[in-house]
Amino acid sequence: MCLPLILVIVGLIVYPAFYSIHLSMLNKAQTRFIGLGNFRFLLSRDTFWMVVEQSAIFALSAVFFKAIIGLITAHLINNLPTKGQRKWRGMLLVPWVIPLALSSLAWWWLFDPTLSAFNWVLTGLGLRAIPWLSDPYWARFSVILVNVWYGAPFFLIMYLAALKSVPEQLYEAAAIDGANAWQRFVHITLPMMRNIIAITVLFSLIVTFANFDIVQILTGGGPRNMTHVFATYAFLLGIRSGDLPLGAATSLFMFPILAIAAIFILRGVRKRGREIG
Amino acid sequence: MASSRLSRRSVLKTAVLGSAAAITSPYVSGVHAAGSLSLGVWDHWVPGANKALVKLCNEFGEKNKVDVHIDFITSQGEKDKLTAAAEAQAGTGHDIMSHRDWNIRIHQEQLEPLDDVVGGLIKKYGPISPVAEYLAKIKGTWRGVPTTVGSQVKPCCSRIDLYQQHAGIDVREMFPPDEAKWDKAKVDGWTWEAYVAAAQKLYKAGYPVGLPLGQSSDAVDWVGGLFNAYGVVMVDAKDNIRINSDETRQAMEIARKLVEVMPPDVFAWDDAGNNRWLISGKGSGIMNPPSAWAVAKRDNPKVAENCWTHPVPKGPKGRFVGQLPMFYGIWKFSKNKTAAKELLTYISQKEAVAQLVEASVGYDLPSFKTMYDLPTWKNVEPPPGTVYNYPPRGDEQTSITGAPARSEVGAQIYNQAINTVMISKFTQGKEKLDEVIKWAEKELEGTLRA
Amino acid sequence: MTTAALAVPATRRLGMRSSLRRNRRWALILSYVFLILFAIFFLMPPYYMIVTAFKSDAEMARMATNPWIIADGVTLDQFRILFTQTDFLIYFKNTAIVTACVVVITMVISVLAAFALGRMRFWGSGILATGIFLTYLVPDTLLFIPMFQIVKWLGLLNSYWSMVLVYPTLTVPFCTWIMIGYFQSIPKELDEAALIDGAGHLQMLFKIFIPVALPGIIAATIFAFTVSWAAFVYPMAFLYSSDQQVLTVGTVTTLIRGDVYKWGMLMAGALVAAAPPLVIYAFLMDYYIAGLTAGATKG
Repeated sequence: MCLPLILVIVGLIVYPAFYSIHLSMLNKAQTRFIGLGNFRFLLSRDTFWMVVEQSAIFALSAVFFKAIIGLITAHLINNLPTKGQRKWRGMLLVPWVIPLALSSLAWWWLFDPTLSAFNWVLTGLGLRAIPWLSDPYWARFSVILVNVWYGAPFFLIMYLAALKSVPEQLYEAAAIDGANAWQRFVHITLPMMRNIIAITVLFSLIVTFANFDIVQILTGGGPRNMTHVFATYAFLLGIRSGDLPLGAATSLFMFPILAIAAIFILRGVRKRGREIG
Repeated sequence: MASSRLSRRSVLKTAVLGSAAAITSPYVSGVHAAGSLSLGVWDHWVPGANKALVKLCNEFGEKNKVDVHIDFITSQGEKDKLTAAAEAQAGTGHDIMSHRDWNIRIHQEQLEPLDDVVGGLIKKYGPISPVAEYLAKIKGTWRGVPTTVGSQVKPCCSRIDLYQQHAGIDVREMFPPDEAKWDKAKVDGWTWEAYVAAAQKLYKAGYPVGLPLGQSSDAVDWVGGLFNAYGVVMVDAKDNIRINSDETRQAMEIARKLVEVMPPDVFAWDDAGNNRWLISGKGSGIMNPPSAWAVAKRDNPKVAENCWTHPVPKGPKGRFVGQLPMFYGIWKFSKNKTAAKELLTYISQKEAVAQLVEASVGYDLPSFKTMYDLPTWKNVEPPPGTVYNYPPRGDEQTSITGAPARSEVGAQIYNQAINTVMISKFTQGKEKLDEVIKWAEKELEGTLRA
Repeated sequence: MTTAALAVPATRRLGMRSSLRRNRRWALILSYVFLILFAIFFLMPPYYMIVTAFKSDAEMARMATNPWIIADGVTLDQFRILFTQTDFLIYFKNTAIVTACVVVITMVISVLAAFALGRMRFWGSGILATGIFLTYLVPDTLLFIPMFQIVKWLGLLNSYWSMVLVYPTLTVPFCTWIMIGYFQSIPKELDEAALIDGAGHLQMLFKIFIPVALPGIIAATIFAFTVSWAAFVYPMAFLYSSDQQVLTVGTVTTLIRGDVYKWGMLMAGALVAAAPPLVIYAFLMDYYIAGLTAGATKG
């Protein structure tokens, strides 16, 4: 019964992945085997380390804010009368549903230096226009903002479901004990939701870390390479500059980082799973 | 049915005469392959420009009984480069692909030598653009044929009215639409210093010029022109890093003065940023092919009527405009190389080029100077003569960032936009010039990797 | 804590209730205020897309008007031109075909595999389950070059059928993972009972587990649907003919021409592209929520 699965995984993921590892050990013209030469070269470049740092900033802060916003909105919706919940839930889910490549494009247009609709509002209010994508720090902010916008609804759904699974009696009991909202949250909600939070964070981390569309469309990695992440930098080296092996090597750096994160988070989940079950 | 039989016979003939591969390969597939040609061509943004190429290819196909099929592939999101990389890697795909900027060099191992095609064209039409030669003639062998479609230079496109009112310069008088009428004194006076002085006045008047400083080709190209005008050499042909020089400091100083009087968003502009700037009516000048003007003609005609394309300013070492030719390459795995070469020769003839240039409203620029007298550039308006000076005339020479380094090195200098990043570190990032140069030296060192 | 609650005297309980009610009221109002703020953040770009899609090109080119409203009157021109003068409907059709096939393939593969891995302990099942998860960590930007060779080998170059082949790499690992979790959450007694009745494994799967695991299956289906509907990197690299193109890439590549962005049509296209997933979510969200969480936590 697992045969089709094994076929897909071996044929379309494992084989290509190993091929890519092989590719990453070739020289630029792909005529000579150079071992770890590409990796060594990357590690000696300041720009590459900048990319590592930016990917980490990008993924961690985006996931953090997604998680926070998801948590808050899930709580707010859960507080509403059941009748209105569906409507709000549906509205807040919209960003998750629009194909990311297309919504990034809309954001890019909202940020566009000459015709930015945001800046139209800001200048209309007598404020200064914000250099959304031209100042490197604002550009980082914008890229993260779009990612949060896109990913927060996923957290919202996951949390909402988890909240529903927390038995209502627990809250009632706590309220009668005189626990305030914050105490209820810390002592009941969080422990009950820890696993789902961990899993959601893990998935989001993977997707955010490997994200390509948002950065490529909004900034292309600029200004001054200060918004490049692994995927876009690999694209620059591999496709635009035509050094496929070096691009493959760059992409490969993602795997161990994610694998370590995954192992830690999953181990925690398993352990808690055993404690509960 | 009749026509198909006819084409089969002639196809067989081509196969027998043409390639040994076709003879040894099985009958059926040989016939099929020899009878058709597939092209992956850059998708032209000018409405209708693709049609001219389709028409030429169909003419060729009918004459030679070859079934020509064209896929237009956009450069948006580097889709054309992705496709080329994948085809090269897999050893299959179109017979002919168009390659932008450095892609001929990147795929040199998989590309058929085209010395016979380019040699024939040079014989007929005289010297070819040195930039095209730098990009496509690798180790003495041409691996690509410069295209007409999509090849471009990036001269100034300035607002006649704004320059006149606020900077006291009549660009139309300086560069009238007839080279014979140019006044040498005025042309010689059009220097980078003069450009900066005008930009300062235009900034004060509220209509700054806008030159992009992102990491895309429009930005890299104009900065390349500036650097060359001051004689900056980043890496020479013998792998010596020579960025730490007085020339660099002079050019950076010009750039610094310019940044002060440009909109702060230039650092985020992609290749369309300067176009929008001009079209919006807020900008007084950009450096771009006439696409900005052409779109203005549709969206903001008042701006278009006041646009004038003319040579870039000069520096102590000359007047250099950024050129970005495209090339057709024939994959080594193509099964119909003879027909492919014939097709490329056919669409590179001046008569064909004239049709392509006309269809692109003057945007496409062939790589032969002897073709710069085509009527399109004289006739296009408004205003009359507006793109006459688009093809480099007078003392304007073409250049590309990265040259004269080995093209492997040049490609990385260009694609990593080391020159524009230098300027933005120096100006926007407020780093010390010596530190910026040190950074550049280190980056350039990285490009030299064997 | 539950026992503690029961010990509270009934009188105190009543007094608490009324103050609770008052608190609830305030909490509710605050909730709405914050929700509205979040809704503005979430819906601003979609709103802007809608405004743009219903504007005329002339108004957009004029650039003088408020970009957030439609000043010259609503027009359906963008949609009309999009449908009649571009290949948009072909892209839509291709995407629909690809997505339908991918969803079916994904579900068959992952339900079978997840059932085996989740309910039948056999040698290597644990390793395989972990392995599936690890494959999710391999970025698609790394895989597309070797994938091109496989696609070529199968003779599917520049055909949307190649997408049917490669998208499952994006969907199968996650869906299998979700389904493993879901199957494991079903009580053991169920298959023991079935085994006593003499049912085989396949019979057990179809008669018992698929009906019980329906929420999980729906969640996985929706996931597969969303991913293949919005996929971007693979079609960008593999498809170039207009008649084979899919929605996301087709919209971007036909409506951005060099320096010219056809914003009205781009946004119209984005809205139409977003409609099918929106409808699906609207109808099946409750299942999605139930299935996703049950599956993910137990995996």
